[in-house]
Order: sequence, then structure tokens, then C-alpha cells
Amino acid sequence: MSIAKAVTWARLKSPWVLHFNSGACNGCDIEVVALLTPRYDVERFGIKLEPSPRHADVLLTTGCVTKQCAERLKRIYDQMPQPKFAVAIGACACSGGVFKGNYTVEGGVDKIIPVNAYIPGCPPKPEAIIDGVVKLLNSLKEAKPSAR
Amino acid sequence: MPGSEQRPLEILQERMGENVQIKPGHLGKASIQAKPELIRQIMQTILQGEPSAAISAITGLDLGDNIGIMYHTRLREALITVIVEVAKTKPIIQSITDLIPGANFHERELTDLFGVTVEGHPNPGRLVLPEDWPIDLYPLRKDAKLDNIPKSPPPQEKNASEEPETDGKLVNIIIGPQHPALLEPEKFSVKVDGEIVRKVEPRIGYVHRGVEKAAEQRTYLQDVYLIERICGICNSCHATCFVEAVEKILGTEVPSRGKYLRTIILELNRLHSHLLLLGHAGLEIGYETLFQYMWRDREPIMDLTEMLTGNRVVSSSIAVGGVRRDIKDTDIERIKAELAKLAKKMPFYQNLFDNEPTLKMRTRGVGKLSREDATKLCVVGPVARASGVKFDIRKDEPYEAYGEIPFKLITREEGDTYARLMVRLAEVTESINIITYALDHLPTGPYRTRVPRTVPKGEAVNRVEAPRGELLHYVRGNGTAFPERVKVRTPTFANIPAFLKTAIGGSIADVPANFVSLDPCFSCTDR
Repeated sequence: MSIAKAVTWARLKSPWVLHFNSGACNGCDIEVVALLTPRYDVERFGIKLEPSPRHADVLLTTGCVTKQCAERLKRIYDQMPQPKFAVAIGACACSGGVFKGNYTVEGGVDKIIPVNAYIPGCPPKPEAIIDGVVKLLNSLKEAKPSAR
Repeated sequence: MPGSEQRPLEILQERMGENVQIKPGHLGKASIQAKPELIRQIMQTILQGEPSAAISAITGLDLGDNIGIMYHTRLREALITVIVEVAKTKPIIQSITDLIPGANFHERELTDLFGVTVEGHPNPGRLVLPEDWPIDLYPLRKDAKLDNIPKSPPPQEKNASEEPETDGKLVNIIIGPQHPALLEPEKFSVKVDGEIVRKVEPRIGYVHRGVEKAAEQRTYLQDVYLIERICGICNSCHATCFVEAVEKILGTEVPSRGKYLRTIILELNRLHSHLLLLGHAGLEIGYETLFQYMWRDREPIMDLTEMLTGNRVVSSSIAVGGVRRDIKDTDIERIKAELAKLAKKMPFYQNLFDNEPTLKMRTRGVGKLSREDATKLCVVGPVARASGVKFDIRKDEPYEAYGEIPFKLITREEGDTYARLMVRLAEVTESINIITYALDHLPTGPYRTRVPRTVPKGEAVNRVEAPRGELLHYVRGNGTAFPERVKVRTPTFANIPAFLKTAIGGSIADVPANFVSLDPCFSCTDR
């Protein structure tokens, strides 16, 4: 096994995720937390919720990105080591959702940082979030992560 | 004691005479119209006679040339509203924060969103808007131009330069906006002297999405969906509170089956919220097993919500005039069976909280809030009830089917973190009983009535007991399909002052446990 292959294998088997709420209604957030609990238990995929951006591989962002959070979101993304991936969870994170056009809302995570996977739904069911994250992991097998 | 709020009103009328116009039955039990100069005098009169009186909300209102300011005041079980108007050209009002400290955040919000200068406020400044928001742009005024908002340089960080009591000993610890203990982005600057917390400065507004303004730009039908998304956890409570206010303006009577179904949905909401919080509390105090157990037992509630309404979290099942869909007979049996299973587990948790050494050490005596402080800071919900304040909208002002369903009002006297968690644990059992009773006594007939899409001119204020406490909505209709103004005062907005008070003097290690016992929800707070 080449080193590159070993690194990809390790990355696929133990993605550490960071959760950031950029102005969500909590609906998506409680579903993200539900992923860690006995029924959904994403740790079986090696996924671990990590509190520090400096140790995280994947950024799970919920919410419509308020103006006050936008700069913070950028900073957190910049603190993550390469290669890094961002997932937008929920209708708000994908496009601004029901809050699109409001005076303090930027609308959509991809306006601030590059996004690798979108998981729509208001909120998406935990199954849908698992599906999205696993799809992202599978895509890493072939493709190179978007370097920045 | 119905009608017991009359006495303070009589005293007010005697003292102020012609200067106040009291209108019974308007915006709560009564509204009091007065000149803005008299606001302090009026509040003083009300508060002197009633030690338990508190401020529920302060609502601003753009009336064209004037800005209306409404002080929604709790007087025993009833709500009364003091209305004053100030000119838009010179919007100045006297602060009442020194009379009732719970008014603090409400007055700052008024300054932020309506540009009303509150004279004599102890700590004015930005509350919900971003720091770089233009100084003379007030988003909730009707003439505010909100396209292409220019960014003004943020004002000098006042907190950093001042710091009068630092004297080199205090260390500033910043919690948030992204922090593992907070699921939501908010910032708290905690000043500690060694291990002891001396001061807490909150910076909220990270989740401010401008829902109140957005509600004015959408129809009533669309607003139900928008307002539900103020908070994903207590979404049905927000929807119910809003549609009840709209129904009050319309004069619609909801069929009794609709009322019972709403009650069931609301209590399922409360169940999932309380179990979520009790689990989250376990996580915050470093007892992760409790978190996993609680969330495991919460999943059947999510299943029931999905079965009944079609979605796990944001259910969109409350509609103006009733509920969106009926309950099936087979569902009734399943809900009862699942709830009976949950009820059996409750003694286990009670035993755990009472006897488990970790939980005892981390919760007992932590963050004590006395009854007097609870009233002064105008806290609501389980936080108030844990300090011995008998205050529950379901009892005081029964809405939906709560007037017909027997249940116990849970209060405790300790006022600490333990008591706040125990009130919720006991309410889980009460909620199970309420749902079971409602299912057994479910009336037959229609579950929804047709309502017109346009709402006549009128205004209504409505209160609902959300899982976190009193939720207040004010809705003003103008004869079109769009509301003129929607105001939302959420329970966490009222409860944050309790944390700022109780954290001081405690250990920094107790901050997470104390904080989580308020069940903070910032998406509610900021809107």
C-alpha cells in the first residue's frame, strides 16, 4: 500500500467532524446531535464530533449564515487543516431557506466558504445526514479534495 | 383569583385620574394609555402595590409619525399593557430598568430595532444587531431602507478599554461563539478571579435573522411556517401562539377536536424538549451516560411526532383555525403504549438525580436564584417555578384544552440547578398524563375551520407556556393578508438575566451546569 493510499484509508475510516451553527433554528442542530446517540450512532463509521476546528476534517454547518456569524464561519474554516471538507446541512445552509432575503442574513454557506456536499431538508432526517456524510466520504475515494 | 388585577388598576386610576385611560379587555386584561412622561410613575404605582408584578415584554410599533411603546406587564395571573407614544423625530423615553431589572434587555432591544433612546439605562449598547450595523438604521421602522446596507466600522470595543474593576487580577475567559458547550453561536465574556466568576458579559445576536420584519413581508399563511422556524425545538409553541393571536383578531373559534389535537402536539413538543435538556445537562456536567440514555428515550417521542404530524422536528401541523391533519385511531393506541413505556422509566431517572454522587455534586446548591430575584428579573417557566414562583400560563390563562385537563403545577423551593432540572423531570410525567387524558377524552367532530386569508384591523397579544416558559406574541392586523407587526418575546430572552446573576460568585467550573439548567435557546432569543 502506498502512503497516499494509506492516508486516504485513514481519512475515510476516521473523519472528525466539527459542528458550527451559523444562525440555525436548532432544528438541524438537534438532528446533528441525535446522530451521536444510540439509535443513529455515527461512531460506527468512525465519525467523531470534535470541538476544535484545528483537529477537524469535516465542517458540518447548519443555519442561514447571519451577518454576525459570517466572519466567524470563515475564520473557523481557515483554522481547519488541509485537506478539509464542508457540508451544508438543511435548507437554510444550502440556500438561506425560509430566511432568505432577511436583513441580517447572508443566505447559504457557499457564499462564505466552498461547500463539498449539500444535504437539503427542513430539517433533514438523521438518516439523510448520515447518507450525505457517507456519500462525501465515498467521493473521497476517487476524487482529490478541493484544494484551497 | 380572577379579577384580582382590578385593585392595582383602581389605585392607578385614583392616583393618576384623567392622565390615564384604562380600556378593559384590550391587549390582555386591560390596556392603559398614557403620556410618555408618566411611564415611570405608572410603573412605580403598579410595582409598589404588587411585589410579584413583572415585565413580560416591551413592544415597539411604528405608527407613522409616532413610535408606540407597549409595556406588557404581568399582574398576578393577568397581563396588562401600558401604551405610550413618542414622536419619531424625538424618540426618547425614561428607563424603567432601575424599577424592575428584568426590563433591561427589552429596553436595549427597543433602542436597537426602533431607535428609541432610553434615558437612564444602566448599560445601553447593541443587543441583537451586528456591531458594524449602521448607527442610524432601525430595521423595524417601516421606512428603513434595508437593501444594500452599508457597513460602518464597528465602534471601539467599550468593554476592552473600560474595565474599571480589573486591577490586574481578573482574567477574561471568552466562551463562544463557537464552543463545545454551546450548540449555538453566542459569546459570553466571563471575568474570573482565580476560580470565582466576578462578572459575565453576554453578546447575543449571532442568530438574529430578522424574523419580525420578515413576518411583515409574508402573508399570514406563510408566516405560520416562518414563525415555526424561530426555534426548531419549541416550533409548535411558536406556531400555536401566533395562530391563536390571529384567531383572536379574526374572532375564530377552533373546534374542540382541533384544540385537543393541538394540546397533544404541544405536549409532545414539551416532552421532547425536556428530555433533550435533561440529556444535554448530563453532557455539560460530564456525565455522558445520562445524555445517551435520555436521548435514547427521546427517540420514541420523535417517532410519535412524525407519525402524528409528518415530520420529526419542525412539524408544521398547527394551522390558523385548527390543525392540519387528523389523528388515526390506530395512532391513539400507539401513542398511549409508547408513553406508558416512557412513564415507567421516570422513577429510574428520579433515583439517578437524587442519589448519583456526580449529579448531586454538580447540581445541588449551584446557581441559586432566590424567589425575590426571580420575580425582579422577570424570569419565566421552569426557572421561575424552581424558585417557588407559581407561574404557568397553562394554569393562569388556559388556552387550547388545558382548562379541561387536570394536571399539577410543579414548583420547588430550592432555586438551584438541581431544582430546575427536577421541575422538568416532574413535568415530563405531567405531560405524559396530559396527553393520555387528552387522547381518552378526544372530542369527535371537525378538527379545523375555514378562515379568511385577510385579517381585519385589530391587535392581539397572546401567551403560551412553551417548554422554556412564557412565550408572548403580539400581532397587529391592518385589513390585508399581511400583518402590520409581529412581536415575539421568547422565554430564554427573559431567562438570560437569571444566568448573569447566578453565575457571579460561583466557580467557573459550574458555569456550564448552571447555564444549561436555564435550557437556553438562542435561536429563540435572537429571532
